[in-house]
Amino acid sequence: MREGHFGFLEALSLMVIVLINKIFFTSPMLLIEKLGTSAWLGTLISCLASLSFFGLLYLLMKRFNGQDLFQIFETVTGKLVGRGLIFLISLYFLYYTAINAQEFAAILKAYSLPYTPIYLIVLPLLVIAAAMAYVGLEGIARVAYVFVFPIFGGLILILVLAFPVYDWDYLRPLFGYGLDTTIVVGLLRSSAYSEIILLAIIINSIHGLKYFRRVGISALLICGLVFSLCCACILAAFQYPSSSEHLSGMFHLSRVIYYSRFFQRIEAIFLFTWVFASVITIAIGFYISLKAYCRAFLIKNHRSLLLSFLLLTSAVCFLPRNFPEILQIHVRIIREFSFLLIYLIPVLVLFVAVILKRGGTSDDKSL
Amino acid sequence: MVSEKKKQQSPILKILSLITYKKTNRPRTFVLPEQNEGQEGREKSHNYQASESRGNEETQTGGKKRTKMLRKPLSPSQVKSGRTDVNEVKKDIDSNLEVIKQQFNVPQNKDLVLREFIIAQDKRGFIAYLDGMVDKTIINEHILRPLFDLSASDLAGDNNSNTLALENIVETNDVKKLKNFKKVFAEILKGNTVLYVDGLDYFLACESIGFEMRSIETPKTEGVVKGSQEGFSENLRTNISLIRRIIRNKDLISEFFEIGEKSSTTCAVVYLQDLINPSILKEVRRRISSIKTDFLVSSGMLEQFIEDSPYSIIPTTLSTERPDRTASHLVEGKAAILMDGAPFAIVVPVTLNEIMHSPEDAALKWQYATSLRFIRFFAFAFAALLPGLYLALTTFHREMIPTDLLIAIAEAKENVPFPTLVEVILMELGFELIREAGIRIPGIIGNTLGIIGALILGEAAVSANIVSPVLIVIVAATGLSNFAIPNYSLAFGVRLLRFYFIIAGCFLGFYGLALALVVFVLMLVNLKSFGIPYLSIVAPRNKKSKDAVVRWPIWMQEERPDYLNTLDSRRQPEISRQWTQEDAPEPSGAGRNKDQGPAQQAPAGRNQNTGKEKESSD
Repeated sequence: MREGHFGFLEALSLMVIVLINKIFFTSPMLLIEKLGTSAWLGTLISCLASLSFFGLLYLLMKRFNGQDLFQIFETVTGKLVGRGLIFLISLYFLYYTAINAQEFAAILKAYSLPYTPIYLIVLPLLVIAAAMAYVGLEGIARVAYVFVFPIFGGLILILVLAFPVYDWDYLRPLFGYGLDTTIVVGLLRSSAYSEIILLAIIINSIHGLKYFRRVGISALLICGLVFSLCCACILAAFQYPSSSEHLSGMFHLSRVIYYSRFFQRIEAIFLFTWVFASVITIAIGFYISLKAYCRAFLIKNHRSLLLSFLLLTSAVCFLPRNFPEILQIHVRIIREFSFLLIYLIPVLVLFVAVILKRGGTSDDKSL
Repeated sequence: MVSEKKKQQSPILKILSLITYKKTNRPRTFVLPEQNEGQEGREKSHNYQASESRGNEETQTGGKKRTKMLRKPLSPSQVKSGRTDVNEVKKDIDSNLEVIKQQFNVPQNKDLVLREFIIAQDKRGFIAYLDGMVDKTIINEHILRPLFDLSASDLAGDNNSNTLALENIVETNDVKKLKNFKKVFAEILKGNTVLYVDGLDYFLACESIGFEMRSIETPKTEGVVKGSQEGFSENLRTNISLIRRIIRNKDLISEFFEIGEKSSTTCAVVYLQDLINPSILKEVRRRISSIKTDFLVSSGMLEQFIEDSPYSIIPTTLSTERPDRTASHLVEGKAAILMDGAPFAIVVPVTLNEIMHSPEDAALKWQYATSLRFIRFFAFAFAALLPGLYLALTTFHREMIPTDLLIAIAEAKENVPFPTLVEVILMELGFELIREAGIRIPGIIGNTLGIIGALILGEAAVSANIVSPVLIVIVAATGLSNFAIPNYSLAFGVRLLRFYFIIAGCFLGFYGLALALVVFVLMLVNLKSFGIPYLSIVAPRNKKSKDAVVRWPIWMQEERPDYLNTLDSRRQPEISRQWTQEDAPEPSGAGRNKDQGPAQQAPAGRNQNTGKEKESSD
């Protein structure tokens, strides 16, 4: 897939935003629920596990230098199976986009817009995602670069301004429910970083392997650290029993900021931060889903399918009947089990390529 | 007779005449002739049609019944084709005279002056010019007088010798031999005088432009405290000379183009040949030369013809009326487009950063300029977002407002019957109304009325409980911020953007504003100005500029903007203040000559010697 070119910082911004977006929603809550006070450590383990998967992905991309993931699927497994895999990726990202949009809308409704119908929150979001997909990958990456500063600025501001409410003793015991539980859950939740696969899909737009490795490792490390820091701050502010009940830990953190009568309840300002992050995440998910579909069925112009995909995503978006269903089933699928699809498929393809001796130079084949 | 006849009519007839039908003689009304009718009309002069015959759309031609079809009006070129089509100048004076008369519609057209004469006893000739466009002193003193002073011997010989003699006889500074009528007409239309002498196969165009024009004045919309006070005028040549006075460089090129089938407006593309990227120049030439229109009168019209994104609300070209600003952009490696009759230069390509710069920035110390730029960027954000933010805050996110302030706002709004959206829209429209009226009302009354109108209207609106006082503050702050935007077109765009953000904030609060911002940024990152991304430096990220938002000290600005890919990217050497690398002269000491200025005291040793010498001489 190649649509325009962008540099290292644009690619890094895009990946960091996509990876970090979940921190604003239910992810910290679910993680704290499972790991207690060691949530901050669990996410670091997930990050390390994702780094190892990314290493395998890098080997695959290196073996087929100059090709994106979809081309590699076709080269290794043949056109029919390859296109089937691409279609699978398209379906996953369609689902990912819809559930992310629904999760975002549900949180926004719960905290900020209680009287606004949920479809009025979701539809503008999806329409703008479609508009961004219309513009293309380069446009999305540039928008990501422009908004990475307010997003990170907002995040840092929340963490810093909430400093007076932190009690670091709340982080004890450091290993929560035990180190073994932390490691197991941490490994299982490596799916939380599964969006890193996007880099393999857009590799030709980011000047190939050189930036692929740099962007991938940097994005994973930054997000792992930020995620861990945010979890630690949420725990330090609310203690783990309360933290595991807050739908959005970061939102609560911004709500407790209090300096004087004139500097309090400023959480609404940080809405900008999560809206920017969510729009970009949903837009890239929507775009990749659409492009993958076009690739699977050899459709040249993705713009002609925008409206159909918009309707399709909206339909999937409204599949969950209520918020608990989103949390217990759909978000869990994406953040806990998606690695089965996202990480395992490329790894399997890599093994098939090694076994069938496809792609790469003679040195690479020694893998 | 008529009165007698009326008297003779019986009362019965009179009554009957009131109720009986009488055919009225209505005057003929004008009907625009169709294409085929127009052609016939010229021959038969039946443009005026009886009203009775309207509706009779069927005519008989050659025995066959034919339905008249609606056709397009004649195009200007088709109208022209009815005239004698001549390109080459003939050797016969009568034919050439006839062509000029025909083309300029003499005698209906009273502007064209044709002065026929006989020189050197038997040679017929004439000059032609447009009255009011020429300097008559030049014609009288430097064209006609030398011709009348000619003797027969001066023109003796064959045609070729005549040619040479005629060019040397006329005493104007610029003469051109023209063998093509199109060029002859173009020269007359510019304000030059054409001269023809019987037997020649060309016209001689003599420069005699001399119409009234506005003198150079202070820029009206880009005033500065510290900096040049000269602005462009309507004369193209004067404007180019103003730039040349600043950039005295042999590589400063000005190329001319004629645009407009009817207006034949002259446009100039000015650039520095050793700097500008040839691709940009080629694109500028391509866009300008491919414009096909009949009329072009302002640089704003030209902008619309050449800009990349006509649907963008934000301008992608920079319009300036300052020669110094134009020159500074030319030295960056850009092109300036000037137009005859327009006191503005269009600079291309530009980025949003550059549009936000003020002409004064370069003249100020970097700390002042940088702080002013931050203020301008804040003003941009305020002007676009403030009413939307207020609306979102008071409608959706009241918890953010401190309680005391919230109570004050609620109290002020208690008696206002309208929703906040209506209040905001009313006030914004009122403000726009005052601004527009202030521009239309002539002279100083306009400004006064603007201020008084705003004060009275605001006060009255608050007293009448139409709007709340807080909103007056919001709208006033928004208006002020809008005036702080240094570019008129951009300020206009922001005025419209404000309503977009008001709607977004009104319906979805901060969420709506954030979405609207994403769309706005998406639009910005996709804009281009002559192939250069509009958000260059930020997205796509280029080499760090030292004159984007933060203006670094002038001696640190060593390179030209990276995104322009100029032929010479270096503006100045790494060490531009070379005196910092040199030893300062030693203090001159007690023997310093007080009469000498600092420049004369440079070499310390010599200075001391001079002092000593002076002392000794004293």
